[in-house]
Amino acid sequence: MISPELKKVILKELNLDDFDLKDETTAPEVPGWDSLNHINIILAVEEYFKIKFKSYEVLRLKNVGDLQKLVDSKTGKK
Amino acid sequence: MMLINLSLDKILDLLKYNQNDPLIFSTILFLFFFFIVLIFYNLFSKNKNIRVFLLIIFSLYFYYKVVGFYFIILIVSAVINFYLTKWMSTYENFTKRRWVLILIIVLNLAILAYFKYTNFILQIINDVANKNIEPLAIFLPIGISFYTFKALNYVFDVYLDTLKPAKNLSDFCVFLFFFPNLLAGPIDRASEFLPQIDKEPFISKEDLGKAIFLISAGLLKKVVIADYISLNYVDRIFDFPIRYTGLENLIAVYGYALQIYCDFSGYSDMAIGIAILLGFKLMDNFNSPFKATSIADFWRRWHISLSKWLLDYLFRPIQFKFRNLHLYGNMIALFITFLLCGLWHGAGWNFILWGALHGFFMSFALLIQKPKNAFYTKLRIKNTRFLKFFQVIITFHLVAFSFLVFRANNISLVGQVISQIFTFFHGEIITQFIEKLPLIFTLILVGYLFHFIPLSLENKIKKLIAVTPWFGKALILAVVIWIAAQFKSADIQPFIYFQF
Repeated sequence: MISPELKKVILKELNLDDFDLKDETTAPEVPGWDSLNHINIILAVEEYFKIKFKSYEVLRLKNVGDLQKLVDSKTGKK
Repeated sequence: MMLINLSLDKILDLLKYNQNDPLIFSTILFLFFFFIVLIFYNLFSKNKNIRVFLLIIFSLYFYYKVVGFYFIILIVSAVINFYLTKWMSTYENFTKRRWVLILIIVLNLAILAYFKYTNFILQIINDVANKNIEPLAIFLPIGISFYTFKALNYVFDVYLDTLKPAKNLSDFCVFLFFFPNLLAGPIDRASEFLPQIDKEPFISKEDLGKAIFLISAGLLKKVVIADYISLNYVDRIFDFPIRYTGLENLIAVYGYALQIYCDFSGYSDMAIGIAILLGFKLMDNFNSPFKATSIADFWRRWHISLSKWLLDYLFRPIQFKFRNLHLYGNMIALFITFLLCGLWHGAGWNFILWGALHGFFMSFALLIQKPKNAFYTKLRIKNTRFLKFFQVIITFHLVAFSFLVFRANNISLVGQVISQIFTFFHGEIITQFIEKLPLIFTLILVGYLFHFIPLSLENKIKKLIAVTPWFGKALILAVVIWIAAQFKSADIQPFIYFQF
């Protein structure tokens, strides 16, 4: 499940009103989420949740569900 | 008795390494060997060990025919990458993993740098320090850039834990040595390729149609268009641009863009087609690149396996490092990526300049993206066919210009060609040109026309070939080979991309 907070941060960064983000959603499926914009989303997530990612943690992400899990592990939620 | 000895010697000579006679796809010897391998491959298709054995042995022989005893590098590379990556994967801790990763990267780049860049570095030292060090006699093993990058995508994916290490050395060797994409790509992903080794090859009717289409199209692109126009036109103009009018120079610039596309994508087409016949699906490498509406779009269509590699393993890590710089971080990452992309193509300032040009195009486009879009919206031309048309034309000319830089081993050539085009154009000689060089003109025209045929038509042709009975398929191949033979000049032109 993608948390409403993470969804809000991502959609705001992409200027989208609404988009159904599922665990298995990948970046190319979301309008505007390209390889250039990707880093802005990562940065926005870092700033919103006040966490810092390591490069390998981000580079191995395959879908939004992976990002959610990473955020959860960083913020202490399991 | 003597006669038998003589012909036996001749045959042995033919089978031995010969610098001027590599075993490339468009040679009769390759077709002959491939046919034999294909027969055995199909006879023993149920036995994985025999399949793997056949692929490894033939790939090594294929590489031996191209580089002689330097084929050992391939084996060294396989052993280093397989065992060190296996060792790396035993560490859960990423700090330790990173140290092994750095070791593997250094070893790979050291081998690559020694063979490819030593003399270039010596030349720079000479120029900077005003010294006179003699260049070393280092043999450049063709394809080394391609298989080094192929090995590295495996290493990186295992490092990131998105891929499990190959089960055994022989599986990894099949991936690394695989002769269809060994010399000039596609730089296939281990994650896509390795699972295919276990599967018993199955070739559907559609696959076969696609394979025959790709092999035929590739052969025609390479032999009929690229070789012919380079040998008989482009090379001559670029040897002495100032002897020709601007019109002829401009046609040479267009001709070269078409030549390099047909040469390289033709080779990729053949590689993908041949791989299909062995039951392997390789990644796509070209998607009508001259239809691109921007330089970024061009790189999504040109040498896709390399641009994806650079995106995943070079651009993304740099981009992440500079993420706090926002837009400027992206621009820096783009520029560095393309600069190194240029260097990957060869040890020469022309390649570096070519990479820098693309890096500049890409990062500049990013900088002006917002005001540009606002401007298009204001003019109400955003997403219109009108705008697209101009975008295609402008992108094509930027790309064609960059290829001129790519081609120029001496930067003054670029100046000469451009100056002829702008100061000595003489457009009126076009009728004379068509009259004197009808075949060149037709080939360039037909080459570009075919490039712009809609994808739907191409797919229809593939389907049509798929449903053609076997003798029809054989006839298509026979006709294509016959046409290619007609066009083949006395010597086979080496593939442009081989030198990288």
